[in-house]
Amino acid sequence: MLYSGFVMNAKPNLPNEIFWGKEYSWRMDSKVNGWLALAAVISSLTDIIFAHTVKQWPMEARVGIVLAEFLALALWARSVTQWIRGMDELHRRIMTSVMLAAVGATFFFMLLWHCLNRAGLFDVLFGKPKAGGWDIGTVCHGFLLFVLFYGIAQAICNRRYK
Amino acid sequence: MKNKLRELRAAREWSQSDLADRLGVSRQTVNAIETEKYDPSLPLAFKVAKLFKQSIEEIFEAEG
Repeated sequence: MLYSGFVMNAKPNLPNEIFWGKEYSWRMDSKVNGWLALAAVISSLTDIIFAHTVKQWPMEARVGIVLAEFLALALWARSVTQWIRGMDELHRRIMTSVMLAAVGATFFFMLLWHCLNRAGLFDVLFGKPKAGGWDIGTVCHGFLLFVLFYGIAQAICNRRYK
Repeated sequence: MKNKLRELRAAREWSQSDLADRLGVSRQTVNAIETEKYDPSLPLAFKVAKLFKQSIEEIFEAEG
């Protein structure tokens, strides 16, 4: 359905509308990435500000926070899909590849990091941390990695068609 | 795939943006088709053919 049978807008969406540059649109960026920003804010609050107090909260509140974070992520995935569907066929193809590569690379990197951390590599390399650990499992970490891999994948895919 | 899109567009004195607006695609897509870096889908090829009032075979030519 992504490639056929979709009636295109008069002005199709462009990938650079949410990337810094002359085509950047704050309105489109907030429409596409608003839910991701909310998920990142919730994650930051729970991980940084409430790191010590959140464990004393009732279980329902803690589960609620985690679910709110992942609900925001699900809504972000929905808005990204809608944004990609509004592109023309070339950009839809590029963005589908870019998103797949960025999500896959982020997942792979976080899994690899987690396994290496569990094996104790980072404790040996950087020493034992005073609080928490070297694990990267928060939405903020995922978001930063995703942006990095998104940029790399977009540069590679765009070069093919320019 | 070879195509005559650039010649057809130039004959009508349209810019890539003009053609993109008429086809409902981005200027980059028109450029990618003209430079033969991207082969359009069948619905888009039909749209191009209809716009220039020619058959698909007259505009697009398979290589080999």
